[in-house]
Amino acid sequence: MNDFLINTMAYRFSVWLVVTLNLLACQSSKNEKLPILGERKLDVVEVNGKKQIDTVYHTIAPFSFIDQDSQSVTHRTLTGKIYVADFFFTSCRTICPIMKTQMLRVYDSIQKYDDVVIVSHTIDPEHDDVARLHDFAAKLGVKSSKWHFVTGEKDSIYNLAQTSYFLTALEDKSEPDGFIHSGAFLLIDKKRRIRGKYDGTSEEDVNRLIKDIGILRKEYAQKAN
Amino acid sequence: MPKRLTKWLLTAVLLYGCTTAQERKFKQYYLQGQLLYEKHCSNCHQPNGSGLKNLYPPLALSDFLKNNPEKTLCLMRHGLTGEVVVNNITFNQPMPGIPSLTDLEIAEIATYIYNSWGNKRGLVEVQEAERVLRSCIE
Repeated sequence: MNDFLINTMAYRFSVWLVVTLNLLACQSSKNEKLPILGERKLDVVEVNGKKQIDTVYHTIAPFSFIDQDSQSVTHRTLTGKIYVADFFFTSCRTICPIMKTQMLRVYDSIQKYDDVVIVSHTIDPEHDDVARLHDFAAKLGVKSSKWHFVTGEKDSIYNLAQTSYFLTALEDKSEPDGFIHSGAFLLIDKKRRIRGKYDGTSEEDVNRLIKDIGILRKEYAQKAN
Repeated sequence: MPKRLTKWLLTAVLLYGCTTAQERKFKQYYLQGQLLYEKHCSNCHQPNGSGLKNLYPPLALSDFLKNNPEKTLCLMRHGLTGEVVVNNITFNQPMPGIPSLTDLEIAEIATYIYNSWGNKRGLVEVQEAERVLRSCIE
């Protein structure tokens, strides 16, 4: 009799456990949140005379570039925008064409969102001036309001790639095209924090990026409510 | 039922036996050409030969390919710059050549691209490639 009671209780408990865990699982997928990438530090700040611990996340440093329509693209002009960043150059024949094929899919997927844009940085600014970027964008059939192809000071582009986006961008004359660079796409939120890193040459990874853009937008929609 | 199977098998063996040396050669060229295409060409021209918008021209049902069989072999090795019109669209993105490609490899790539995605020309022999590549204007 005792055994029977214990068994029943164990059974009931396991049913309860399964149901609860399932509920929790559903809950967490509903409020799915993207991680915040990069180093973080804890700062002590004073709020109303009280000391509080504040987490400071890695953010993209301020920048100032110019796009294919000669418009300036800076951390200020991108305020309030989610953006996808990558690094390329127009004469690249290795991974860039695949990256651009994939980025076109991202471009198509963000047409309906007015708070999402793409920023493609050239790592060959000596060759890729505004006219060349304009020509390149026109041939891809994309608009600068949605997809900025930016150029600027070579050092500041390389610096931003390496220290802000944590991506490789180097000149190397021994390489077939003269440069070494990463094929990654990065998802940046409205506070210029990195929320995802994707292989821009992989269709599967880019599918994940397209999905993550939706998740990030939901995060802001929930905050607004 | 087993009788039917034997009959079918016999036919299959006979058919395979009937594959001419030429057909086997074509298959060999084609498969090798596909590997080379995926390594050197498909980044820009795309795995399905569609090209990319107005940036990289298509190879699938391309009038340029059809009308310029010799130039097509030459530009694989020596590249192409300046304007080029393909299916009524003007392209102007320099294509770098690949000087390391051998005559045979160029014949294999040509066999692949000239017999894929709706293109139909048949085998491009290494002898033909050799002859054409000797006369390329660099």
